Amino acid sequence: MLLVAALSAAPVGAVELGRGVQAHGFFSQSLVYTSDNNVGGKSDDGLATDMRELGANLSWRPNADWLLSGQVLARWAGASDDGDPRLDYGFVDRSLLSDGDTSLGLRLGKIKNPYGFYNTTRDVAHTRPGIIMPQSVYMDRVRNFYLAAPGIAVYGNHVTKRSDISWSLGVIRPDGDDPELESLFLTQQDPGRFKGKNSWLGQVLTELDGSRWRLGLTLGEVNMQFRPGAGSAFGAGSSRLLPLVLSLERNTEKLSLTAEYSEVRNSGSGYGIPGLDDTNTLLAWYVQGTYRPAEHWRVYLRRGEIYVDKSDREGVRQTVVPPYAMFAKNWTLGVRRDINEWALSAEWHRVDGTLWVSPLDTPFRPVNQQKADWDMLLLQAAWYF
Amino acid sequence: MRLYGWFFLIFISPQAVAVDVIVNRAVAGNSLAEASARAFFGMRLSKWPDGRPVQVFVLPDAHPAHVALCKEQLNLYPYQLRQSWDRLVYSGMAQAPVEVATEEEMISRVATTPGALGYVRKVRANDPVKILYVD
Repeated sequence: MLLVAALSAAPVGAVELGRGVQAHGFFSQSLVYTSDNNVGGKSDDGLATDMRELGANLSWRPNADWLLSGQVLARWAGASDDGDPRLDYGFVDRSLLSDGDTSLGLRLGKIKNPYGFYNTTRDVAHTRPGIIMPQSVYMDRVRNFYLAAPGIAVYGNHVTKRSDISWSLGVIRPDGDDPELESLFLTQQDPGRFKGKNSWLGQVLTELDGSRWRLGLTLGEVNMQFRPGAGSAFGAGSSRLLPLVLSLERNTEKLSLTAEYSEVRNSGSGYGIPGLDDTNTLLAWYVQGTYRPAEHWRVYLRRGEIYVDKSDREGVRQTVVPPYAMFAKNWTLGVRRDINEWALSAEWHRVDGTLWVSPLDTPFRPVNQQKADWDMLLLQAAWYF
Repeated sequence: MRLYGWFFLIFISPQAVAVDVIVNRAVAGNSLAEASARAFFGMRLSKWPDGRPVQVFVLPDAHPAHVALCKEQLNLYPYQLRQSWDRLVYSGMAQAPVEVATEEEMISRVATTPGALGYVRKVRANDPVKILYVD
């Protein structure tokens, strides 16, 4: 009751709970229909409803130099996420310098990782470029790994007459405890577990001419170790990922063009399996045009492609998974209508390949249930404050 | 007709600033660089050059004064400012500006909040706020 009273009395976009204290929250529910392959529940020739997000955050700025922030998130996504609430981020931010043009600070705790334009708010539906993230550069199967991690980060911002440069560099220990990591890296579930090791991620973003141009570069080194369990089919291997993401955006009043390109070099050793003790480079990109024909409306078209192995794009030089599980190429056409704090969207996907289909929802073993060519229709209602 | 249009372009437009950036009277200085104004309203800088905290007040996205602030003073579009706030607010990296409903409320909040930064279409002579010229 108190919360309802607070919400109704608050200005749109935030709840002020006292001096320097703010609360925000979000909720989304999606409906998924697919011609083949399951996404977000039993969507194959049916309507899946198991795709949902619910989150709330609190921040407190006791004075100009300190900021404390935390967010709790529950996420449902077919068989890969069951809605268990978790700490999405929680950190202390200390401003070290701020002179009007330049700022510098330090964050300590569980921090959202910078990765491309959208990673830090990828679970907040109304901030995404569509109903789901572009699955090429932001594949949900590795989301937990890149999403947020305990660590320490330095960040800064510098403004000049024509540009605004912001950057951050974080030393982190990524979250390796995720069944999707096994299905992706080992291509099967295993009693063992991945554990994140010392890693770093850095990003520089430049905005030119009043954000008409936005350019970004993300680089990092992400390490993880495999700890075999009883009956594991793999040795105590380790993997080293070297991600690179280039981001570019052009904004006009009615039109935005966004393109991101990524390469992730993945070196494995010690697993005792030839295909895993190897080096390959994952390649992904997308280009999206977003048109705003009228206030509160947007229409978007996106082309995205992802390949596990840049040197074997069609997946024919391996026999572990179906060739089409080694890539995904898709067209996305979507429309969004904003009504006050609601964002209502519809999105259609034409997909060739199943790389971003979770085998937890659509297995390819013991019987291959994945289909190479498929369509997907998504509907979503998202609310936020 | 065409000549009349040129007259407007040359003699009227350059002076026709439709929105004034205002601050609490205790804030030092009389002007602000456009890039700094963009960083303050974008919630990327949180302190005035003298080290005191900035408190940003805004009007709703579709309010004519907000649209004028974005286009004329900050050289961007309202949707970009909103996206920039969302990125910071939902990753915990900054707080959102405080939204007020009317220009009258804007003036009274800016007048009574230390370090306050806001904007209105017309500052009257007896308004208890200071205009900051964006250049």
